[in-house]
Amino acid sequence: MSVETIELVAAERPRAEALAAALAPELAVRAQDPVTLERVYLDTFDGLLHAQALTLSWEQGRFELAGAIAGGAAAADADADADERPRLVAAGAGPSGPLPGAELPAGALRDAVTELTEVRALLPRARLRVTVEAIAILDELDKTVARIVIELPELVAGGAGGRVALRPRLRLLGVRGYGRELELARSRFVAALALDQAGESLFDEAVSAAGERPEGVSSKLDVAIAPGERAGAAVASVLMRLLEIIDANLPGTLSDTDSEFLHDYRVGVRRTRAVQREFKRVFPPDALARLRAEFKWLQQVTGDSRDLDVYVLGFESMRALVPESAQADLDPLLGLLEARRLAARRAMRRELRSDRATALRRDWSELLVRLGDLDGLDASDGLDAGLPIGKVASGRIRKVYHRMVRMGTAIEPSSPPEAYHELRKQGKELRYLLELFGAPLHDPDVVKPMIKVLKGLQDVLGHHQDREVQMTTLRGLRDDVAALPGGPGALMAMGVLVERLEHDAAAARAEFADAFSTFAGKRQRARVEATFAA
Amino acid sequence: MATVLATYNIKGGVGKTSAAVNLSYLAARDGLRTLLWDLDPQAASTYLFRVRPKLRGGAGGLVRLRSDVSALIRGTDHERLDLLPADFSYRHLDLALDSFKRPTVRLGRVLEAVRDDYEYIFLDCPPSISLVSESVFEVADALLVPVIPATLSARTLEQLEELGAVADGRVQVFAFFSMVDPAKPLHRAVMARLRAAHHVTMLGAAIPSSEDVEGMGDERDPVGAFAPASPAALSYEALWWDVQRRLRHAARPSG
Repeated sequence: MSVETIELVAAERPRAEALAAALAPELAVRAQDPVTLERVYLDTFDGLLHAQALTLSWEQGRFELAGAIAGGAAAADADADADERPRLVAAGAGPSGPLPGAELPAGALRDAVTELTEVRALLPRARLRVTVEAIAILDELDKTVARIVIELPELVAGGAGGRVALRPRLRLLGVRGYGRELELARSRFVAALALDQAGESLFDEAVSAAGERPEGVSSKLDVAIAPGERAGAAVASVLMRLLEIIDANLPGTLSDTDSEFLHDYRVGVRRTRAVQREFKRVFPPDALARLRAEFKWLQQVTGDSRDLDVYVLGFESMRALVPESAQADLDPLLGLLEARRLAARRAMRRELRSDRATALRRDWSELLVRLGDLDGLDASDGLDAGLPIGKVASGRIRKVYHRMVRMGTAIEPSSPPEAYHELRKQGKELRYLLELFGAPLHDPDVVKPMIKVLKGLQDVLGHHQDREVQMTTLRGLRDDVAALPGGPGALMAMGVLVERLEHDAAAARAEFADAFSTFAGKRQRARVEATFAA
Repeated sequence: MATVLATYNIKGGVGKTSAAVNLSYLAARDGLRTLLWDLDPQAASTYLFRVRPKLRGGAGGLVRLRSDVSALIRGTDHERLDLLPADFSYRHLDLALDSFKRPTVRLGRVLEAVRDDYEYIFLDCPPSISLVSESVFEVADALLVPVIPATLSARTLEQLEELGAVADGRVQVFAFFSMVDPAKPLHRAVMARLRAAHHVTMLGAAIPSSEDVEGMGDERDPVGAFAPASPAALSYEALWWDVQRRLRHAARPSG
């Protein structure tokens, strides 16, 4: 039942008199006094709302989530879809910094946003000062038959940056039952006032003007490499992109904006380490060893924080494993985990800000530049640096796959948890190889199903590993929890929890055989051999 | 699904249209999607919202479901407030309804297509007791009954309470005093008496007799839009607040 909205942009501010002249004699206008207001656009770091063509804004004490208004002739076609889009509002105080989705005012808007953003915080992507002029378009009965909203937006830059004027926008809003008048106004305005259909939303324009990407910062790899490319250059471009991802996620990791920054940071580090291991013969032999050790250190100093993030984030689902009557008894444990998490974050921040971390970042970047140097090979380059990447990567993928098949075949239900864990680590290695080199160098339609089968196995192994680690951690926390108020109750509940986790881990072991037989089966083996032939 | 409220009185000239226009305006102003259906062939609500009193297919086409009701709805000057206009063909609405086996369910059928689009639907009813009013009793959740504080008004309330739909609780009655002149002793006496005798039905809010309400005809706008601080506008605010409170109370599960 919503009515059509048309958005136009102008080179300069459209005046009410000019609008009136364009509409005469059939229609007239009545303008209200302009008002100036603050508007903040919000989205996650990786642009989860933008990807769904949704815009979240705050102005005059309320948040609004709206479907992005399509511009151009497509507006009419998109209208049917736009009608179905939510337009939700919720009253609340303006955001001064990153806002966890859970802190939005409760209601439909928060539900719709957090369903998409999950653990990601909402960041103010652009702050605007907008002068809004509301003008009614009237028929001969003085009845409002359409509305014009002129917005004169200015980007408020941070610090002493002052303001940047953005293009004036004219929004033409239909009134139900007066479609003919709306169309008349639209065509007159476009013809007489040099207005253009808005190609990009105000959100996009404002975020771009702020020097950022409206679609957000992706942690996706997206590197173009070709099978015939020199391995040194190809590996260098993949690692460069990984370094970009690591760099991009560092500020959010340091400020603890949301848990995904550290997660993506660590994925970047882990992928880097996998590439270092698998392609060590590509690097100059003297240069890699020290930096590999440094990256290992980087992963270690971020490990506790991530583990504790996972505990705190997953605490409620863990709590649900114990009988309802004992669930509240686990509160002291949650308090302890939260305190440890904060302490681990402090320790991690110290390390990530240290000279050692700065030197690592600099030395690694220099090495990558050297490795990617297109001037050709010299004596100090690694043995494989000059070979085509297709050949080198295929060899590595085959090797890790066969190693996994060997390791997995040796696993029995009675094998120690470490055996499952070692297999899982190899699985990660293979997954990175397939994602970083398999997919870009080969037919994605072949590689993607392979990744899917691997993922099935990794899910089982991951579940098993999570439970094992949780049990070990819980056992390790026993003495600390016992000393807390409510400790004895919490210990009893933790005992029940450990039993449930053991049961869960056993169930995962039982699932292992099936998942592994698909992974190591004839079909998958044939795929690997055919795709990554020597 | 929309709550349906009908302004109704057997008598004319008691403030039905003023109440429908002002309350629907306040509902929309409060952020609620609101429709006002003008059922009166005089089309006074239609006039007040500056919409042309023209209905393609007429009232007959509407109740026979030949016309697409959502294409006949017009936006008003106020955001979220739509109008289903009346025209002179509504004088034959009784006849059109009478051609059906179950005439009183027809208005509900017409509204079915749009009832999910709105939070509130107001019906501005013509005076009299007829098939139209019987149909309104059928579809409405509550009747909003303006009562002028005069001796005969007690009779109006008693008659209403005898109506089948009211007696068996299918529709609630919220009556309120309208066109009140507090300077008149008679008004004060009648109000006190009726409030005592019908304390459940009578709402606390009362609309004064006022030039501002009469001025709506010139302004062609709700009082709240052109004189928001006037006593009349404030009285409609109080009435709207009262109506919502009663509706919430009625929606609460009993016991």
